[in-house]
Amino acid sequence: MSEPRQAGQTFERRLGRLLIAVTYVAVVLLTMGVVLMLLAGISPLAGGPPFDPSQIIPDLRGLEPAGFLWLGLLVVIATPLSRVVGAAIGFARRREPLMAIISVAILAVIAISILAARATS
Amino acid sequence: MIEALWLLAGGAAAGGFGSLLGLGGGVLLVPLLTLVFGLDLRAAVGVSLVSVIVTSSAAAGVYLERNIANLRLGMTLELFTACGALVGGLVAFLLDERLLAFLFSGLLVYVAITMLRAREPAPDDGAQLRPNLDVDDDRHVEPLTAGDLASFRAAALARLSGEAYAVRNLGRGIVGSTGAGVVSALLGIGGGIIKVPLMHVGMGVPLRVATATSNLMIGVTAAASAVIYLFRGEIDPYIAGTVAIGVFVGATVGSRVAHRIDLRYLNMLFVAVLLWTALQMFLKALG
Repeated sequence: MSEPRQAGQTFERRLGRLLIAVTYVAVVLLTMGVVLMLLAGISPLAGGPPFDPSQIIPDLRGLEPAGFLWLGLLVVIATPLSRVVGAAIGFARRREPLMAIISVAILAVIAISILAARATS
Repeated sequence: MIEALWLLAGGAAAGGFGSLLGLGGGVLLVPLLTLVFGLDLRAAVGVSLVSVIVTSSAAAGVYLERNIANLRLGMTLELFTACGALVGGLVAFLLDERLLAFLFSGLLVYVAITMLRAREPAPDDGAQLRPNLDVDDDRHVEPLTAGDLASFRAAALARLSGEAYAVRNLGRGIVGSTGAGVVSALLGIGGGIIKVPLMHVGMGVPLRVATATSNLMIGVTAAASAVIYLFRGEIDPYIAGTVAIGVFVGATVGSRVAHRIDLRYLNMLFVAVLLWTALQMFLKALG
């Protein structure tokens, strides 16, 4: 196998491992949130607290289920984005400008989604 | 407590059956959450998008580790699925829920028909194929001259092609991917049911690579619209967290037992369930 091909496979394997690792972090956080919710006797159909980023840290400190669940959900949404960030860095290092630009454009679309959601909510 | 267990079990069933039958959990989750648990359609779509990201991320990680997914093609197309998801996520809040229910019932019928017509992949379909990872290997790349659109297109396609297959019809792929993104955001599905045939039949990508690449794209597509549902208050942390854990466990178990189960009868049973669910969603659309 040629050196560049081997390097390409290594790069993709690293991205794969990154995806799996971040997914497991998200699943652990969500599981902790669900366990705390059950221990607190909260019904999941009772309606959870609205999304408030400033409340996540205090909720985590107070072992509130909502803190773990919101953080877990944010990590879930960030998981595929972490792969795109990793790919952007990898493509830039490998001097593939077009793929690096595409990676950055994907992140820009996500940023526009957030801005549009905040502007219209 | 009982509700939590039912949600976990429902998520596990959706993830497990989805994994066995090669579907994302969304096609099953959204009807389950609306028809059984009484959630609004948009709230169910928000929960489904989160669950779809969890399962597709884990699967995509494995596909990347094994060098099955075509990263370059996937990232090129997911730029357009993300654009479609952005538009679809915003449009979803302008549409009447009954229209969304009607669209979902149409999607279920389409999935049922697709499953009925599904055939086993050809023996040479992807088993030995791997995307071309040698980015510095320019054997297939035509020299690019300024202003030469045809040459540029050929070079781009060569870059996106695999070692043993040539990608074609990039324009069709871009249009189809944008549409898949819109549908994903409107209905809370991963969109593999559109992207896999698009890449396999429309673009000449082997089925195995198309499936892996579609899985890779699902996460970004769903994330682009999930942030809209999140900031518009349509994701409930208690329901989303519980269901996502259930779907993750179900999909993990499903993928491990799939080879031990005769899927022919399960397929037929599932088609019947899909058609019944489509009818229920249609009745919901009628109010």
